[in-house]
Amino acid sequence: MKAVLVRKGTILLGMLALLIAACAPTEDAAREAGDEAEVPDEILVGATLPLTGEEADNGLRYQEGYELAFEVANEDGGLEIGGETVPVRLELLDDTTDQATAVNLAERLINRDQVHVMLGTYSTALVEAQSTVAEQNQIPYVNGGGAATAIYDRGYQWIFGALAPVELLATTQMEWIQKEQEAGNVPDPAEIALLWENTSHGEDYRKGVQDFAEQSGGSFEVVVDESFELDSKDFSAVLSKVKSSGADLFLADAHLPDYVTMQRQYVSSDLCHDVITYGARGSEADAAEALGQENVNYILSAVWWNAQLGEQGGQNEQFINAYKERYNTDPEWYQALGYETVRALFTAIEDAGSVEPEPLREALANLEMESILPGGQLSFPEETGYQADYPFVVQQNLPDGSSPIVYPEELATGKAIAPNPNCEG
Amino acid sequence: MRQLTRWLPEWASPWAVVAFVFGFAVLYSLPLVISFDSYTHGIITQAFVFAAAAMAWNWLGGYVGQISFGHAAMFGVGGFLSARLLLTTSFPFWIAWIVGGLAAASYALLWGHPTLRLRGPYFAIATIGVSEATRLIATYWGDFTGGSSGISLPISEGTAKFSLYWYALYFMAFVVLLSYYLRKSRIGLGLLAIKEDVDAAQDVGVSANYYQDAVLFLSGLVVGVAGGIYASYFVFIEPGDMFGFERSISFLLMGVIGGVGTILGPVLGAFVFVILQEYLIASYPDLYLGLYGTLLIVVILFEPLGLSGLLLRIARLFGYRPRVLDITVGDTKLTAMEEPEAVEPPESDVEPARKEAKA
Amino acid sequence: MEEVVRLGISAVLLAGLYSVMAYGLGLIYGVLRIVNLAHAGVIMAAAYVTWLLHSRLGIDPYLAIPVILVVFFIFGVLLYKGVVRFLPRGAAGGVQSLLLLFGIWLVMRNGAYLLFSGNDRAIRTEYSTHSISIFGTSVAQSRVVVFVIAVLTLAALHLFLTRTYTGKAIRAVAQNPDSGTIVGVNVERFYALTFGIGTSLGGLAGLLLATIFAFNPTSGAVELLKSFVVVVLGGLGSVVGIALGALVLAFAESYAILILPSYLTAAVSFVLLVVVLVLRPGGLFGQRVLA
Repeated sequence: MKAVLVRKGTILLGMLALLIAACAPTEDAAREAGDEAEVPDEILVGATLPLTGEEADNGLRYQEGYELAFEVANEDGGLEIGGETVPVRLELLDDTTDQATAVNLAERLINRDQVHVMLGTYSTALVEAQSTVAEQNQIPYVNGGGAATAIYDRGYQWIFGALAPVELLATTQMEWIQKEQEAGNVPDPAEIALLWENTSHGEDYRKGVQDFAEQSGGSFEVVVDESFELDSKDFSAVLSKVKSSGADLFLADAHLPDYVTMQRQYVSSDLCHDVITYGARGSEADAAEALGQENVNYILSAVWWNAQLGEQGGQNEQFINAYKERYNTDPEWYQALGYETVRALFTAIEDAGSVEPEPLREALANLEMESILPGGQLSFPEETGYQADYPFVVQQNLPDGSSPIVYPEELATGKAIAPNPNCEG
Repeated sequence: MRQLTRWLPEWASPWAVVAFVFGFAVLYSLPLVISFDSYTHGIITQAFVFAAAAMAWNWLGGYVGQISFGHAAMFGVGGFLSARLLLTTSFPFWIAWIVGGLAAASYALLWGHPTLRLRGPYFAIATIGVSEATRLIATYWGDFTGGSSGISLPISEGTAKFSLYWYALYFMAFVVLLSYYLRKSRIGLGLLAIKEDVDAAQDVGVSANYYQDAVLFLSGLVVGVAGGIYASYFVFIEPGDMFGFERSISFLLMGVIGGVGTILGPVLGAFVFVILQEYLIASYPDLYLGLYGTLLIVVILFEPLGLSGLLLRIARLFGYRPRVLDITVGDTKLTAMEEPEAVEPPESDVEPARKEAKA
Repeated sequence: MEEVVRLGISAVLLAGLYSVMAYGLGLIYGVLRIVNLAHAGVIMAAAYVTWLLHSRLGIDPYLAIPVILVVFFIFGVLLYKGVVRFLPRGAAGGVQSLLLLFGIWLVMRNGAYLLFSGNDRAIRTEYSTHSISIFGTSVAQSRVVVFVIAVLTLAALHLFLTRTYTGKAIRAVAQNPDSGTIVGVNVERFYALTFGIGTSLGGLAGLLLATIFAFNPTSGAVELLKSFVVVVLGGLGSVVGIALGALVLAFAESYAILILPSYLTAAVSFVLLVVVLVLRPGGLFGQRVLA
């Protein structure tokens, strides 16, 4: 009896399933043709940022950069397109550091609010998820918050990234280490302990170091290669492994919380290496406060931008002054990148003389902009999948609390110290 | 109506069939009649997918009484496998979804067969371990999941986002039928027996192991397919998001808030969840965990049937008297502590907390 | 070899912390038959309270122990009187208490997030980066202190449960609530007391945790699961059982790095949890509850 019932039910369900699975309505893929190419009354730029959730701090920093750039542009009435000056407006939403939310909000901005163009959110995973919406809808998407190459090697045509790849961050650091090695300050060959957070940021960093070591012809060898989970608590086991390996260099890639936690356990395990770095982290005032200045001395870090670049005057000085006037503190690289991302977009809009997607995309792809970023030029080369490519600045913490730029030499504001003086005695 | 009854198996009520067909027709034609903007269209699509997953969670959590904190594991396996298949083979998307779902179901059996012998809180705790271990291994296993960089599906290929609405609707409709069948057929009685008392169920010839494994398999299958559709919708997926603890909790919350053990409660829960997420949470993102936590507390203390219970109360105010069987089925959680014969008429079951206090 | 010794020492030190976390959870389960998921929230909240006391009032974390114990004892009793006592107990009703206490944990997490933001916090004292040498390996001083406090706590708890009238009564209630009533023990009172003690142990664990690790509102989740592993491994037979359970877990986690990639060592405790639950389904927490 039971079996019969089951069979009867199954057959019924199966038939219904077949029946309804027959077909689904589809949509004409083409978006409705936009308005005639006339100048709008206002340029509407859509963006989401993680204003709450895990990445809230960084999201708020980007927000400052975005808002400053809009303010500066609107001071003179806006952007010049088609012989008219048109104000720009930012429609900024909070994606709560959640991928699905970031995607849904982008859909809302593009299709409901009808924004002309999108600015990106912050952190690689969010940008990677959200940019798919811009690509599907063929709307230019300019971001300053996604550094991983995984975003740009998908063959997308509408995504532009102002953050240089993290691989290059590792390469720049390694170049400096190699220079010190040639000067006899670092052993040759040098053994590397490489620890990276298991995120695309960390993966790129690891790749940068590994590639450099492979091409160094034996000057560098990676002896520890371990990843760790974001927001880990206890690094004692992996640090013990580092200790046993007897490596000369300690290269880690971590976000701020993990940097603080790991460095604390590093110090209390009595570890010391000729060169120590946490990738992009190291110079943060918060870290010095949480760890004590004596425990962050001589840590090396490489970043996309540094306020000391303002000492050379020009656009950097202007940006820093404008920022200080509004927020009363020095900007960090987050704000600078947010600001510069918006400026790249505005420059492209003026170049294109239009906010129509196609001409704007062309203008972004061909952009050559004088920039506050190291190297002084910003462009989105096609070869890298429209990801900007410029040198990093390497900085080193000093006992007096400053972190001068030590590499590249033409931008240096201080002298590098290697090997790590902490290890003596 | 009598004609219809003759055609149906005895567990199916003709009114339910009529309501189902009507509901399906309305949802099917809704976007064709009112043209939503693609944002709203997408939100509804997601709600369908989550509704299906929440019902599947409920088969285990509500019908059998095994609360799972680990359904993200199957969601992730289904999502990543179908994404991989879509990338490397030329399978039609729906085959990829089903294969992903089957893999997820097999994975569910793999860990579920041994752990389902645990009852109550122990099973729940074990599922936390399973889902977290799965998340870590999946993140580490870059060849399968793309590691923390995740996987992007090609944008031009695959199903257009727009038509996913109907695929998600078919999927949800199928799961509604299955939900109804699992509850109303004799299988439902078997599950109920297991929920009330595993040992007693064994004694009267209900094989708890077989039934529970089967329910977990189906549940994993549906959640896995949901993961596949989710992957097709979002185009980019990443292990931290797919396998995350938050994901598991979301299924649980949809089920519990909608109404544990009810047939359609989880659908209600999923829609409320998605709407809260998109509209309320977008304005007060800082409050979402607390809001869900509070809802959970309120539901457990005052209305164990969640929103369904609330609707039922409102219906009672208007003189609706459901058949006693339905209520006892839904309310087993309340009466689980009592002797089976102590199952009381619905009216007195309304405030379990006070009753427990008295006891 | 040197590495093996170093990992071993760090495992032993870690085990002390684990046993304090686990004892709080196990006590509540043993007596009330309730799986207290809010334990995670308690651990997290205590870390924040410790941090507040240290950063605002300059109270050294170790001196704050009495404050934490009292505050969380009261919190536990209130939680019991306000909510938990209305819930059904035991395997079947356990699911409800599980979900309810999970809801309380979510609310606590959200509260911490609103008050302190999602950023990681750490307590920095002058000695937090000091190290001392044990068998030729340098170990963080604070970890040693945490270990010592944990051992003292367990010893005190053992004495309390075996030598005092209240302790014996709690054990009697755990073994048989009905006979407890017969001989004139007010069961409800001892339930509240037990919930309070368990919660204050969770608070102590949170304090100890905060002195060695950074924390944020989501902290406590992993600790909760680890507590389960310990309780399930060691049973509730005795303080020795808990300590052994904690040692097994700590050693498994620490030595895992010798054979596993560092990233996967985080999965060890989860896998262990499932395996242990499956292998000991009936004897879970033992029949020998607090015997």
